[in-house]
Amino acid sequence: MGFKGKIIFFMGLALCFGPQALAQDGDVEFNMVLSKDQLAINERLRVDFSMNKDGDNFSPPSFEGFKVVMGPSQSVSSSWINGKRSFSKTYTYIVMPTARGTFTIGQASIEIGGETYKTLPQEVEVTEAVDRPNGQPSPQDVASDNLHLVAELSKGSPYLNEGITVVYKLYVGTNVSVSNYRALDNPQYTNFWSQDIPVGRHEVQNGTYQGKPYRYVVLKRVVLYPQRSGELELEPLSLEVFVDVPTNQRDFFGRTIYTQATQTVSAGKRTIMVKPLPEEGKPANFGGAVGDFKFSVTTSKRELNAAESLQARVEVSGKGNLKLFKLPEPEIPSALEVYDPEYQENVRTQLSGMEGSIANTYTIVPSYRGKYPIPSIHFSYFDPKAGSYVTLSSEKIDIEVLEGPQASTFNAPAPGEPDKQLVVPLGKQFHFIKLDAGLQSREARPFFGSRGFYLWLLLPLLSIPIAILLFKKREAMASDVVGNKIKTANRLAKRYLSTAKRELGNKEAFYVALEKGLHNYLKAKLKIPTSDFSKEKIREILSEKGVVPGDGEVFIELLTNCEMARYSPFSEVQMQLDYDRASEVISKMDKQL
Amino acid sequence: MSIKKIILALGLLTVSLGHSQNQALFAEATQFYNQGEYESALENYGQILENGEHSAALYFNMGNCHYKLGNIGPSIYHYEKALLLSPNDAEILNNLAYAQNMRLDAIQEMPKSDIARLYEGVVSFMTFDQWAYAAVILVILFVMAYLCYYFFHRANHKRLALISGMLALALGAISLLMAYLQLQQTNNDDPAIVLAKQVKVSSEPNSASNALFTLHEGTKVKVVDGLGDWQKIRLADGQSGWLLAESIKKIKDF
Repeated sequence: MGFKGKIIFFMGLALCFGPQALAQDGDVEFNMVLSKDQLAINERLRVDFSMNKDGDNFSPPSFEGFKVVMGPSQSVSSSWINGKRSFSKTYTYIVMPTARGTFTIGQASIEIGGETYKTLPQEVEVTEAVDRPNGQPSPQDVASDNLHLVAELSKGSPYLNEGITVVYKLYVGTNVSVSNYRALDNPQYTNFWSQDIPVGRHEVQNGTYQGKPYRYVVLKRVVLYPQRSGELELEPLSLEVFVDVPTNQRDFFGRTIYTQATQTVSAGKRTIMVKPLPEEGKPANFGGAVGDFKFSVTTSKRELNAAESLQARVEVSGKGNLKLFKLPEPEIPSALEVYDPEYQENVRTQLSGMEGSIANTYTIVPSYRGKYPIPSIHFSYFDPKAGSYVTLSSEKIDIEVLEGPQASTFNAPAPGEPDKQLVVPLGKQFHFIKLDAGLQSREARPFFGSRGFYLWLLLPLLSIPIAILLFKKREAMASDVVGNKIKTANRLAKRYLSTAKRELGNKEAFYVALEKGLHNYLKAKLKIPTSDFSKEKIREILSEKGVVPGDGEVFIELLTNCEMARYSPFSEVQMQLDYDRASEVISKMDKQL
Repeated sequence: MSIKKIILALGLLTVSLGHSQNQALFAEATQFYNQGEYESALENYGQILENGEHSAALYFNMGNCHYKLGNIGPSIYHYEKALLLSPNDAEILNNLAYAQNMRLDAIQEMPKSDIARLYEGVVSFMTFDQWAYAAVILVILFVMAYLCYYFFHRANHKRLALISGMLALALGAISLLMAYLQLQQTNNDDPAIVLAKQVKVSSEPNSASNALFTLHEGTKVKVVDGLGDWQKIRLADGQSGWLLAESIKKIKDF
C-alpha cells in the first residue's frame, strides 16, 4: 500500500508544479482514433479524441450518419517518467451507424493555450449486418488478416530471354506469430527457364504492407528467363501456414493466451508481359543472347610445329542468359584438323541473374607447314538496358606452322566417310619471289588464230611446190645439150671476142681484135703466151693437148685469115662469118682442152 | 613526213622509257619484299600493272605479298593469274598450295575418269599459243623433211626423210588440234576467286531466294552464267548457285 501511496504523492507533486514548469515543452497533439474503419451496420464504433495537453472548449464533430450511443466520457492520465511528464486526456464517444455507405467523421476542435486545434476527418465504411456484431474475431479471421504472401517481380515487362527475379515474401502482422509453413503447390514455370535460389535462413525483417507495419520473411527466390513472348502467367505459390493467434483471454500470470490457426495463403496469379526482341537491327548471326557480355577468341599458341596441338578458346563472359544460347563457331581453315569442342561453363546464378562465362575449347592439330589464318568471328547479343543489339568481333589470329612434313600423297577419303579436311600437298618451302620480271604488254594478242600464225603455218607448205619447181627447172636446163652449147659459145665469145664484135664492119680493127682474142684465149687456156709462136708451133701444141685436128685447122685458118685480111679486101659478110667461126671453134676447143 | 617520224620516235621513246621505269619499279619492289614491306611492294607491282605491263613473275610476286599479309583471297587470285600466263610452273604451284591451305572451304573435287584426266593432262600441257608455236615449228620440220625426201637419192635416206616428215606432219596436226581444243576450253572456262570474306550462294539470282550454302574467301569457282549483278557459279564438287558478282573476281580479266 505504501508503494501506491508514493506514486499518488508524486502525481500530486506533478499536478502542483508540472504545468507551470513544463507547459511549453513539446508539440501539441490532438488526434481522432477510430476503433475500426470498416464496420457492419449492426456494430458500434468507438471514437477517441486524445490530446497531450489540457484544453478548453472541446467541440465534437457532427457524426453524420451515426448516432451517439454513449459519451462523451473523459479520462485523464498523467505520469512522470525519468523527470518527464506525459499527459493525456481523452474524450470517448461510442457511435452506431444509421445507414450503409461510406461516411466521413468530421473535425473536432479544441483550444489549447489560446490556439485552436482540429483533428483530421476520417472515412468509415459501413457494410451489411453481420452475424456476430462486435463479436470476438475468430483466430482464422485474425490469421487471414495478418498473413499475406506476395510475389515480387523485379520487372513486369521484360524482353524475351531477359532475366527477371521473383521473390516470394510472407508478410506477418505484428500481433501473430508463425510457427511453421508447408508448401502446398510449387509453381511450374512453364515457358520460362527457371532457377531457384535457395534461401538459407529465414530472416525476419521489418517492412510495410499496404502502409501498415509488418514483419516479413523471404520464402523463395527464383530467377526466370522468359522463353516466349507475349502474356505469360506465373502460377501462384500456395502455402499452408500455421500461426499462433492471440486471444482476449489471459492466463494466470496475465499473459495473453494464444490459439493455433492454419491459414492457406497464395501469392495470386501474376501476369508477365514479355516483349519480343525488336526485329529492327537484328544481326544475322544473332543467337538469342540477352544481357551484357564480353567476347573473345584466343589460342594457346601462335607458332608451333606440325603434329603439335593448340587450343582455341571461344569465350563469352558477362551477365545474361549464359546457359541459353549457343556459342558462335570459329571458322578454321579446312587444312587444319579440328576436334570437337570441350564445353566449359562457369556460371553463378544470383538474384540479379546468371553471371560468369561459358567457353568452347577446340583442339587443333595442323599437319602441314604454312600459315593458317583464323578469321575474326562475330557474336551478337541484345542489350535490354539500351534496347539495342550489340555485335562484338574477335581479333583475327594467324597460326604459323613452322616445321612439318612436306608434300605427302593426299589420300582422298573413302566414299561414305565424310571428311571435312582438305589438305593441298605442299612443297618443302614457300618460294621467294621471282627476280626476273619478264614484263610484257598487257594487251598481248594471242598468236593462235592471228594472221601471222596462218602465214607461218601455210608459207612453209607453199615453199614445197616452189622448191620443187625450181629444182625441175634446173634439171631441165642441165639436160638441154644444144642450148648449152650455144650458151657456152656465147659465154666464151663474150669473154674473148667482145672487142672484135664491137669492131664488126671495121676491117682493120676487127681482125686485129680477133687475132688478139684468139691468142688471149689460148693464153688463158694453155697458160702459154702464143702471140709470138709460129702457126706450125701452135698446131703442134694444140694437137699435143688433144684438140681434134679439124678444129685445130679451123683455128689456124682463122689466124691466117686475120693476117691476110690486113692486105686484102674482106667483105662484111666475111667478117661476120669469121666471127661466128671463131666463137664456134673456141667453144669446141674449150671442151677438149 | 617529218612530223610522222617525230611522233614515231617519241612513241618509241616513251615505250622504252616506260619499260625501263617498270623494271626499276620491279627491282624496288623486290627490295621492299625482302625487307618485309609487303604493302609497298604491292603498290609498286600495281603501278607496273597500271603502266600496262604484266608477267607471270609479277602476279606470282603479288601472290607472295598477299600471302605474307595473310590475304587469302587476293593471294590465291594472283597465283591463279600467274598460272594462266605460265602453266605448270613448279614454284607457282607450290606457293599456291600454301595459300590454298589457308582457305576455310573444303571442296572436294569431283572424281574424274582416267581418260578425262589423261585428256586434260595432254590438252593443258601447254597453252594454246604454245601449241600454235609447236604446230608452226612442226610444219616447218615437215617441209624440210619432205624436201630432203625429194632431193635425196639414196633409198635409206629417202626412207628416213619420209618417215620423219610424216611424223612431223602428224604431230603438227595434233598440235593444231590441241591448240584448238585448248582455246575452246579456255573460252568456255571462266574461273573466278571468291574475294569476299563470306558469301551466301542462293538458288536464284535475287536476294529473296534461300541460301544454298556459304563460300569463304579464296575458293575457286567457275562462272557459268550471269544475270544483272548476279553470277551463276559452279564449284569443283559440282554444286552450283547464284552469287553477287562483286564478291568474286574473274581470273581472266587482265
